[in-house]
This record gives sequence, structure tokens and C-alpha cells, in this order.
Amino acid sequence: MHFAIPGSEIFNSRPVDPTALARSLPSALRVHTVTPEQVAALDPLTYEVVRHRLWSITDEMGETLRRMSGSPIVTESNDFDFTLNDEVGQEVQIGLYNTMLAGAVDLAIYWTLQHRADNPGIEDGDMFLCNDPWVGGGLHQSDAVVFAPLFHEGRLFAWTSAICHQPDLGGSAPGSMPLAAPDVFSESLPTPPIKVVRKLELQRDVADMWVRRSRVPLLVGLDLRAKVGANAVGRRRLLALIEQYGADTVKAVMKRMMDDAEQRLRDKLRGAPDGTWRATGWQDQAQLGDRATHKLELAMTKADDRLTFDFSGTDPQAGVISCTYAGSRGGIMLALLPTLAGDIPWSAGGLMRCFDIVTPEGTLNNASFPSAISKAPIATAWLIGNLAAQCLSQMLDRAVDSQASVQASCCGTWNTAVIAGLDQRAAQPAPFLSVVMDSMAGGYGARPQADGIDTGGLFCIPMGKAPDVELTEMLYPLLVLWRREEPDSGGAGRQRGGVSASVAMTPHGTALPSALVLSSAGMATAQNQGLAGGAPGNLACNLAVRGSALSALMADGRLPDTLGECGGEVEVEQCFSGGVLAPGDVLYLHCQGGGGYGDPLQRDARRVAEDLASGRVSARAARELYGVVLNGEGLLDDAATAGARDALRAARREGARLPCAFTHTHVTRTLAQPLDGNLAQGVLADGTTRVACRHCGTRLEDDDGRLALARRDAPPAAAGPIVRIDPATFIDAPVVFREYFCPGCFARVHCGLLPAAHEDVVAGLRVAPLA
Amino acid sequence: MGYVLGVDVGGTFTDAVGIDADGRILSAKTPSTPPDYSTGVLTAIDLLAEQVGISRRELLAATDHIAHGTTASLNALVMGRVPPVGFITTRGHRDSIYIMNVEGRYLGRPSHELQNVMGQRKPPDMVPRHLAREVTERIDRAGEVLVRLDEDEARRVVRECLAGGATAIAVSLLWSFRNDRHERRLREIIAEEAPGLYVALSSEVSPRIREFARHATTIMSTQIGPGLAAYLGALEASLRDDGLRGPLLVMQSSGGAVTAAEAPACAINTIGSVLTGGVVGAQQLAAQLGHSNVMATDVGGTTFLAGLIVDGEPVRAQQTVINQAPVNVPTLKVEAIGSGGGAIAWLDAGRNLRIGPHSAQAVPGPACYGSGGEEPTITDANLVLGILPASGLLGGRRPLDLELARRAIESRIATPLGLSVEAAAAAIHAAQNAQTGDLLRKVVVECGHDPREFVVYAFGGAGPAHCAAYAREVGAREVVVPLGPVASAFSAYGLAASDVVVTRELSDPLTHPCDPARVERNFARLEADVSAALARQGLRLAAVELHREVDMRYGMQVGEVTTPVAGGALDAAALEAAAAEFERLYARLYGEGAGFREAGMHLLTFRVRGVGRLPVTPGLPPIAAAPNADPNAALLGRRPVCLDLRRGYVDTPVYDYARLRAGHRLDGPAIIQVPTTTVVVPDGVRATVDALGNLRIVQH
Repeated sequence: MHFAIPGSEIFNSRPVDPTALARSLPSALRVHTVTPEQVAALDPLTYEVVRHRLWSITDEMGETLRRMSGSPIVTESNDFDFTLNDEVGQEVQIGLYNTMLAGAVDLAIYWTLQHRADNPGIEDGDMFLCNDPWVGGGLHQSDAVVFAPLFHEGRLFAWTSAICHQPDLGGSAPGSMPLAAPDVFSESLPTPPIKVVRKLELQRDVADMWVRRSRVPLLVGLDLRAKVGANAVGRRRLLALIEQYGADTVKAVMKRMMDDAEQRLRDKLRGAPDGTWRATGWQDQAQLGDRATHKLELAMTKADDRLTFDFSGTDPQAGVISCTYAGSRGGIMLALLPTLAGDIPWSAGGLMRCFDIVTPEGTLNNASFPSAISKAPIATAWLIGNLAAQCLSQMLDRAVDSQASVQASCCGTWNTAVIAGLDQRAAQPAPFLSVVMDSMAGGYGARPQADGIDTGGLFCIPMGKAPDVELTEMLYPLLVLWRREEPDSGGAGRQRGGVSASVAMTPHGTALPSALVLSSAGMATAQNQGLAGGAPGNLACNLAVRGSALSALMADGRLPDTLGECGGEVEVEQCFSGGVLAPGDVLYLHCQGGGGYGDPLQRDARRVAEDLASGRVSARAARELYGVVLNGEGLLDDAATAGARDALRAARREGARLPCAFTHTHVTRTLAQPLDGNLAQGVLADGTTRVACRHCGTRLEDDDGRLALARRDAPPAAAGPIVRIDPATFIDAPVVFREYFCPGCFARVHCGLLPAAHEDVVAGLRVAPLA
Repeated sequence: MGYVLGVDVGGTFTDAVGIDADGRILSAKTPSTPPDYSTGVLTAIDLLAEQVGISRRELLAATDHIAHGTTASLNALVMGRVPPVGFITTRGHRDSIYIMNVEGRYLGRPSHELQNVMGQRKPPDMVPRHLAREVTERIDRAGEVLVRLDEDEARRVVRECLAGGATAIAVSLLWSFRNDRHERRLREIIAEEAPGLYVALSSEVSPRIREFARHATTIMSTQIGPGLAAYLGALEASLRDDGLRGPLLVMQSSGGAVTAAEAPACAINTIGSVLTGGVVGAQQLAAQLGHSNVMATDVGGTTFLAGLIVDGEPVRAQQTVINQAPVNVPTLKVEAIGSGGGAIAWLDAGRNLRIGPHSAQAVPGPACYGSGGEEPTITDANLVLGILPASGLLGGRRPLDLELARRAIESRIATPLGLSVEAAAAAIHAAQNAQTGDLLRKVVVECGHDPREFVVYAFGGAGPAHCAAYAREVGAREVVVPLGPVASAFSAYGLAASDVVVTRELSDPLTHPCDPARVERNFARLEADVSAALARQGLRLAAVELHREVDMRYGMQVGEVTTPVAGGALDAAALEAAAAEFERLYARLYGEGAGFREAGMHLLTFRVRGVGRLPVTPGLPPIAAAPNADPNAALLGRRPVCLDLRRGYVDTPVYDYARLRAGHRLDGPAIIQVPTTTVVVPDGVRATVDALGNLRIVQH
């Protein structure tokens, strides 16, 4: 167990009661606010006109930041965001880029109001810089935020912020994410809010201190100016808006935007069924050399118009993968924004009033200082997002009109690869550092009525972008052998998960070995779970070919399609791996596809045949996972397919263990209200209702409210092509491919690729013991 | 000198404008006739001929040239009505067109759809997967052949494409713009296997770095090329039969024309030509009026388009988005920022008033059209407010039903919000004006300019009712409503008045400072290509101008800026001057100090734009002058009109445009009825009729 270092707890920022916060401020800091009556008195025209103007102001802030920034992470991949906040820091409007950051920015402003108001003071023309994930603002130290108070007639009126990921802010390893940091002191130093701008002037001493910590001071200096510039644009335009409409009107609109978002989310929640849904996820390896997998538990309870996310049961903080409270909140926002608020304006301050977080300290999802946390956003925070999305999807799947927002998990992490070396292509050799951005090409999860989006990208950066191969080859001494959608990487299901892409590259234009750093997850257990019996998408897989025969092959007029054709030794890379990429080596990266939805044996066989023809599914997977058979001409063989599917069902019947309480009772009818694609409430002969199979009417729920399901545990390889490397390569805990079936018709209602000790919850219900 | 004709084929109407040697202008409008649009073109020409009492044959015989613009190709792409084509690319990289750099899920979507991640999909496959094929070959960024083209395999792949039903083939290989040898060899192989088959090479259609956009451009060009060739061939043949001796020109999205014979080889350049016609027309008018900076706004029933003219030249873009894919087409930057007069007013789940982006479309149209529309639109609000005449539009040919408009606003907006119908209508009108101002501002600011330095031009049926208000919101100093003889066919007028433009480009990524001789070679090659292409047009050109430009960027930053390069001998000093100009433009676009020069400057794509000036300078003719400023002679009557919620309905004079003369002055509030539109002159604003018949609106 980890205990916080005395004196560090003051830096833990938490959501606050805005009224109490405003009251606690020193009298010298006068604050502008409006009464609920003023908010209610807004006329519809003024509200709509000012709301739209506020949107256009934040949009212009984001555009300013994106254009001024020098980080490819910002300019090419859109890993940044920006906000407009009210006088106490609640988020009125956020950008559409890295949605996790929405869960962190307001925390930094609350903290600043609590700890900076009397000394050194919060004044007109100030801007604060912060990269302390305990305070908030970002999810790890590489997220650096600049936020600015806006004053009108001497009163604190609002805040603006701009935040982006920095390529390097110091620490023991280039990129500030050392693979084996014992604690935060090997990483980038967390800096609580510090005044970087006073009286609208950049403070040279603070700016110098900031860039001095970085291996790329020029870039960090440029991004600092970009963030200051974005806040300046926001300030200028907000003051003009206040000039035109008056401070009270603008503020009333800001408050109403949050109230409106809150109310609409509450209305939506009220329309959803009450209950508790659980999801457990795993982080394979916590740092270089680790062979454990680490558990994150989430129980999401929805009662009336409120959600509670309870992380009790989560493993203690470990390695470099833990996140702070801000990471947990950011992970929840990752899921909540697109799943529940696709049609609600992103006034995040209002949306965040609708949920609570319960979390013990010192855990993976609420790490205590001085835990290493540099991988937080792409490790635990992201996983939290996937778990929250699973819980929300299961809740929404229970109502037909909300099924459009149900989606199996997407790619569960960022597959980090950094290559650094000497570019010798020009007369004057120059050092280069390439963060491989092709890992953007993950797959999206399947939906009840649609396949997942193939290479749809990453769920947490809805507007992410992968670079063109030619741009990569122009900037870095690399040759990309292929970048392609990988067959079978989308989870099998009635609706198939979206496939992900792989990329293979080799040094070209450097005669020296380059340094190679890899940091990934989801290689032994699946983070990209399916829903309602759909299979997970592929496990992430990074391989390196050492000493290939590539140059001879190419001279001979051949280009390999597979690693096997490259010659040389294929080396499996661990989740965390540091080494070299030498001339002649080939690096292969394959990120995760999306999970499937529903039983693959129920997929329309014609669509499987189409997937096979288009290369999204292999012949092996069509046969083994979907039970689809083509004839000699490559056309669907209906009879053989029916036979193959019967055989697969029979194999399930033979291979599965039955639940002890199973009695083959059939319901008289199922009710309209489904639990998901397989389960629904059904009425028994005696009039009581119990959960039943929608396909065959078999009663599944026992008298204790547990699901009596058949279960089959098989070695990971049984999951099919989603497993290319034995999970035992990565972790010591045994991994199983576990499937749950209706004991009546043997439709698959749940499945996972998880540690054998994993406790399953199906559609929010516990599972009855086996016979 | 005889006539110059401009024919603009839109999805709904075909407009034609004829300009005679004396600058007299004829115009005509007739329904478009899909699928064979040439019928409508000939009808429009007949209508022009009728107006001067001559036959089609006589008119065509007296015609110097015809400039033609069409949306048919773009419509075919957007609707997916294109024939199957093959796509051949480098081994390992076929999936580029399916991965779409991931951004294919959201690229080009309007901002309100961007946050609705669950509502996003990628578009259908650009090319069916069995027709998208790889060949073994590889060229690197230096243009060096790493793996030679496997010709046997290539031949096999071509045969399989043909067997799979491909009716044309797009070839786009990695780094082909650096070395086109493999692409050219593939074309020879295809020609051997299928003589006469339409083939497009990316090294010719779009020799620009970034393979996905290059693939997409080449593929789309291949999808529309054969159809365009067939259509133009048939149209030209029938025009020749009818006596046309001069050239038939086709408008390109770059704002200039090429001959019909040249157009199909680079068919993609002709998309969007109708949108650009309006901007070119605005440019001509701006030159005549002496306006150097103009926001050209064109508001129709379903779209709100905005283009910019800066220092007398249209703002250009090097890329556009079609079907969520980036397409490399030199184009005038025209942005769709809203949904026009048919934009629907609605209440969201929070019972907040929202305007658009959904539109009532042409069918059913606004509620007041009485065609079954039940949702209130901008047009309905304007009718309730008295802005539009209860007697109907188009001189009564489009009757309007005030009761239906009131009912729609009452049931959907007023009653739920507890407002009167009039107050709800006023709110809709004002919200539309304010939001248009926000969006127009975004267009101007993102091009690096200050809206206060611009004049707004308002075209289209639905714009003039709002333009004075949105111009005020955006801070523009003046509004011009072009109302002369071509007001309703401004795009066709732009076509007739345009020059011939040929653009060639090639990517050759270099780092500044680089070898001037290499840059000079690039430009020399492009200029030779452009000059040859201009010569091939077979036109009598009054003058030819060649403009050099290069797309530059800072090492690690995203923004590429098209930078002009002076003509003449290129030395290190000239390159330094170009770099300085890039820095100046970058600072203007992105802000002072935004450039990261420490990361170096890259020259990416070199381009030469050849402009052939045609020996016509059509200017709008003057109209009759008024005896004095008092417009009373044009007064149609008065009606209560509400332009401001706080002032309510005000008895407002309504004028007949047909009776206004140059020099008439109208102080707001006033309404001007034109057969094709209605102009609002709000309180505190003055409109004058200028010598060309345009309304010029300024704040008092």
C-alpha cells in the first residue's frame, strides 16, 4: 500500500461546490456573477446569439493554438484542447480535440482560486502555467496548460485555457516518459500553477525556467507562445462580446449553457434504466520488466438522473501507468462526451455535475504523490474510458431509442513507438526524433446495428489524424514497407468490430542504429472488449525483424508482403521495450481493432462473404469464428454454412460447463424491454418476470438475480487470429478465452480474453456458479 | 467582334448570359435537363437568340466563344453515380484509400456534426476492393528506384482490373511526382492491354506530395473523365452543327477556363466550376466598382456560400474535400457556411432556439410554399415579419401562404417558448443574422484578414433580406447588392467574363536555402508545360501571364502557405525574397511570431498558373440616371414590417426596383422588391442606386 507523502496532499485538487468556492475567496478578489433570476430572464434570441458567439470565440482560440504550435502532436494529431470557464472555473465550452483533458482543466482553476488568490494574487492580465496532474490541467506532466483569468470592471469574470501535449519536458528519458521510472522524480517535474504572464506580458524568468527543462526548448517555447496567444485571442473577443451585450447578459448565457447541458443530460439519464453495471479491465505490465497484469474495477451506478463511478477494488498504483484523480475524471469524460452528449452542447461544467467519482487513494486510478504517472493518459485513464464506455453502452442497450449510442470498445491504448537517430540523407547529417503516428489507425467498436468503423481512429481524439506515408518518409530516414488494414483485427460478432492497421518500416537514409522506445498495452489481455457476446478486437502486437535480407530482396525486384518474407529473425517486443533499430531491421506495429457486437454465428453470412472478399476477414476466421463456408467459385455455400454453424453450436454445447441452477424453463413471452442483443425480461407461467434468452426463450435468471449461463474456458489461441502471440510471453497470470452461452440455444451472450481470475458480470448481472 | 456566351448548368436551372460587342447583356434561365444536360444548354441559347430576334444558328455563327460551367461531374461524384474504375498503386500501400489517414471519418463535416462521433461513418469505398490493386515497384523520396517495376505482374493486374469490370484506370504510385517512370510505363502496358482505355496518372493529374490526396484526386478524375469527354464531345458536335465556329470553353474551379477538348484529361479540375463562377463575376464587378476586398456571399434556398476577394484577386485554395476525402484541385476558396433561406428554425432538447443547419430543401420547401413543409424556415419568418410580400415571390409566380408560415412558427417555436408569433419570427430573423456574422467572420479571420476592411456583396434570392444586418455583425463597411441586368445569372456572367487559366504543379520538397538552379528548372519545366497547354487551346488571346508560386511551410508546423515567386532569372537573392514573402504571409495568416523558423523552411510544391486574357472586357452597362435622389416615383406602397424586436412593426415604404434609377437614395427602414429577391434596408442605414443599377448600402 502506498501512502501519500505529508505535504503533498495539498496539491490534490477535487471538484468543488462553486458557491462555497466563490464565498471562500478573499474580499480583495471581487467576482462577477449573476443570479438564477437573471439566467431565467434571458430571452431566447439573446441566448442563441451569444451562445453561438461564445462557440465561435473558443473555436478561434483552438485554431490559433493549432496554427501557432510547433508540436507535430498538436499540428498533425490534434492532441490538444482549449476551454472557456466561468468565474469559478466551471467549463462553459470545450474544444472537440483531446476530450480527456476536459476532465482536468477545471480542477487546476479551482486549485488556483483556492491557493493563489491571496498570494501572489489573481489579477487582470495574468496567465498561469501548470503541468501538475495532481493539481489538474492535464493527465500527465507532458500536458501543459496555460489558463488566464478575465476581468471586467475589476471583477473576475471568466477564465480561458489552452493545453497541449509537449514532446519533451525533461526527466531521465527523451520524451519524458521513462519506461522504468521508480517515481515521479525520474519523469518531468510537476509544476503547480505559476504566473507566466503578468499584465499581459510574458515573464522572461518563468518562461526561461520552463524551456530550460526540455530537450527541445525551441519547440516548448513556441508552444508556450501559442497557448498565450490563444488565451489572448479569447480575452480580446470576450471583452468585445461583453462590450456589445453587457457583462450580466454574457455571464447569464454562460451559466445557462451549463445548466442546459446539465438538464439535458439529466433528462437523458432519467430516461435510462436504473441499475449498476460493472466492468473490469487490465493493464498488461506496469513498466519495463514487469510481468504482471494490473486490474481496474469500475462499478457504474445510475440512480434517477445521476451517475456514480466507483473504482473500489482497483489494484494499488504501480509502475508508470497510474493516473491521478484528474486522469480518472478525464477517462470518464472520454466515454461520456461521445456516448451521452453527442447531441448536447459540450458545456462540460454542466455535464460533470451529473456524476460522482468514488475512489480510494493510492490506486491505479488515483495515484498518490510521488508515483510515476507519465503514461497515465494512454494507460489507466484510457482504460477507464473504455470501461466507462462499456458500462454506459450496457445501460443504453436496454432501451431501443438509445441504442444508437451503444458501441463496443475501441482501440484501448496509444501504441507508442519513438525512433531517434541520425538522418544522413543530406550533406549535413542531423539528429531526428520520430514519434510514429501511424498508431492513430485503430478500429472502432461495433454497434447493435452497424459494424465498427474500420481504421476509424481513436475514441479519445475524435479528430485525430495519421500522416501520409510520404510525409513520414520526407521527414525521417525511414521507408514504410506497408501500411494496411489487417484482416481479422476487428472483433467477430453479429456486427463486426472495425479493423485496425499495421505498419512496417525500415531505416532508409541512416547507416547508424537508431534508438527505439516502445510502450504499449493490451498484448496479453484484451482492452478492446466486445459487447453482447461479440469478441474483442486483436491484441496489440509489436514485432521487429533483426538482420533482414531486405536490401537483397529489393535489389532483386521483390517487396515483401509479410515479415516472414523479409528474412532474418522475428523478435517479439514486450509492452515496454527499449533498444535499437539498426539498418536492415524492420519494425512492425499493429494497434488494436474494435470489439464486436453479438454472436458471430448470427452474422448475416452474406456479409461475412463480403468481408472475406474485401479482405477484412480471413478464410480461416470466416470458417472458425463465423461458420461461413464458400464454394469453389468463392460464393457463399448456404447449406454448408448452416452445417458449419450447427457444428460450432454443437461444439459449444459439448465444450461448455452448465450452470448448476439451470432448469430449461421457458418463458411464455419476452417483454419489449431488452437488456441487450441477447437478453430480455420474460414472463414465466406464474406471471413473474425473469431475464430470458431473446433467441430461444429459455429462462436465464435464477431466483437470486444471477444469470445461469453455460461457460467455456479455452486457451487464448481459441480466440482465433486476434491472438498472434501467446499471452504467456508478456504476463505470468494465465489468460483464457472465456465464452458464456445461453444453455438453451447456445447463442454466445458474453466473451472475453482475460486473466483466468477475472470475475465476469454479464449485462450488469452476476453469473451463477457452474455445475 | 461578336457575342460571348456564358452557360451555367446547375442542378436545377441552366442560366445563360450573352454579351455583345457593345457590352449589351442578355440573360436567360431554363430548367436543367438531366441526364443529358445539353438539351437545357441549347434551350438556354435559343432563349438568348429569341431576345435579339435571331435564330440559334445566327447567334452561334456570331459567337466568339462559349464558356460553360457544370455541376454534373461533382453531382456524379457526390451521388456515387460513377462507372467502376481500377486503381493501381505501390505494393503495400493500396489501403491508403481506405484508411484515409483516419480523418476520412469526419473530414469536411460541418462543425455541428463533429462532436457527434456516434453519428460518423467513413464514406463507401472509393474504389471497390477487387479493383484496387498493387504492383511491385518502389521509388524513394529522392526519386531513386529502389525496386524496379515488375512488368509481368503489372500486366496481370491490369488484365484482372479489366476482367473485374474497370472502364478506366487510375495509376498513382508513391513518390511518382519525383520520378514518373513507373507510372508512364504502366500507362504503356495498359494501352497494350486495352487500347483507348481512359487512364490517368497521378504524376500528371496531381504531382503533389501526400499520397492519399493524390490517389483520391487521380481516382475521382478517372471516375468523371470519360463521362465528361462524352458529354462535351456530343455538345460541341451539336454546337458545331448549328454553326458555332469559336471555341467551347469549360470553366475550372481555379476560376479560369480551358477548351472542351483539353478538359477531360484533368477532369477533376472542372468540378465546382459553378460555385466559382459567382466569385469570378464578383471579381469583375469589384474591379468595375473599385473594391479591392470583397466578401462574396451567395444565399440560395438551401446553401449559403462565401468566397473572398483580396486585393482584387479571389482567395485561392489548393485543396478541397469531396466525399470526406481531400482532393487536390486549384480552386477559388468558396465555403458553404450555412443553409440559406430554407434553413429550419427548431428547438433543441433544451428548448433553445436553433437555426439550421437542416434545410427544408427545394421540396417541400418553407411552410409558406404550401407544398407540405411543416417546419418553420427563415423564409417563413421573413414573411411573418412583412419583409417578404404576402403577394408572393418572383412577381407572384411563387405564391406564399402567410397563414401556413404563422402556423409553423406558432406550433414549433412560439407556443413552446411562450412568445407571440411575431416575436418568435423576429428572433429567428435576428439569430440568423448574428450567426451568419459569426461564420463569415470565421472565413475572413482564418484567411488572415480583418473583416472591417471588406465590402459585402450579396447575391442569390435569399441573401439581400439579411445582408445589411450580417454585414453589420461582421463589421464590414459597405454592402453591395448587384441588381443590374445579370443579377439572376451572375454565375453565368462570371463564366462569360472569365479568362483562360491553365495550372501545372509539381512537388519537389526542398529545404531553404536550396539550389536556385534546381528551382529554376522546376519553374522552367512548368512554364513550358503551361505555355504549351495554352497554345493547344487554339484561342486568340490578348495577353498571356505566367504566375509562379511555391507552397512553403515551417519545419514542424502544419500550415502550408502559397507564396508568389517573381518571374525572371532565379538566384539566391530571389529565393531569399520568396522566403521573406512566405514569412510575411505566414505572420499575416497565423499571427506575428507564430512561425517557427528555427525548424527550417521547406519548399514543397511548385506551381505555375498561366492566364490567357481573352479579348473581351465585359463590364456591366450603366442604367438610366434619376432626376434627383428622391425615390418616390418607385414607391409601390407601404406595409408594416418588423426588423427589430424592440421597435416592433413599423410602417415601411416598399419600392419597386424596376422603377429605381441611378442616384436614387433610400433611407431605412425600407424594402425593395426585385423580381428575383427582396432587399431589406434597416433603420439607420442608407441605400443608394449606383450607375450600374446596384444597391449600395452603408451605415449613416
